Amino acid sequence: MVSILFVILKSPHENPNLELTNDLGGQSKKAALLFEDAVYYAVDKKASKHLSEHVDEVFVISDDLAARGFECDIGGKFKVIDYGQAVDLIMQFDRTITL
Amino acid sequence: MKGTLLIHLRSGSMMNMDSNLTVKLARAALDKGYNVRIFGYGEGITPIKEGQDPKRFPNVGKELTEIAEKGATIVVCETCCVARGIHRGEEVKGSKVGSLTNDLSKFVSEADRILTLAR
Repeated sequence: MVSILFVILKSPHENPNLELTNDLGGQSKKAALLFEDAVYYAVDKKASKHLSEHVDEVFVISDDLAARGFECDIGGKFKVIDYGQAVDLIMQFDRTITL
Repeated sequence: MKGTLLIHLRSGSMMNMDSNLTVKLARAALDKGYNVRIFGYGEGITPIKEGQDPKRFPNVGKELTEIAEKGATIVVCETCCVARGIHRGEEVKGSKVGSLTNDLSKFVSEADRILTLAR
């Protein structure tokens, strides 16, 4: 099974098109990697639920959370990681798609 | 070498944090033993301009020189540079004004993974 890592840079309020995860991802293994303002997906209940419905796992950059005043162990599908772990994910998944 | 990561940057140095993210990911990848290539296209060519002097933000030009010294290859699109009045000789040390046909096409064919940072 192909694995796809969806990279999200924009906040949920900028409305990145999450439907593309279905349109482009199909039945693939799908995960999201959140950078910059996209980390707000991890701390906004409605947005996190919405994103969780579209992908199997979500990875959140710890520095970008901390830069916005959040220090949390989010749980569920969400996992907090550093830049080195993000690089490993990018290399491990078959492809990346930036939304 | 564990593999080659190509970062395709399309955001300008003062537009958002994408160029800073490029540097952070490149540093992490180099530290982990990956080969790193960066190609700037469109506004993504502006981070290689020499003489940047931001007062409240990281100096991405200097950071690019630092990661080039660690082994990253940094190339930007010449047509995009000329369109913005930036010419060969104005790039920061360690970067190169190149082209889609000679550089990006080679980078894409040789990369294990490609990450696009764009809005």
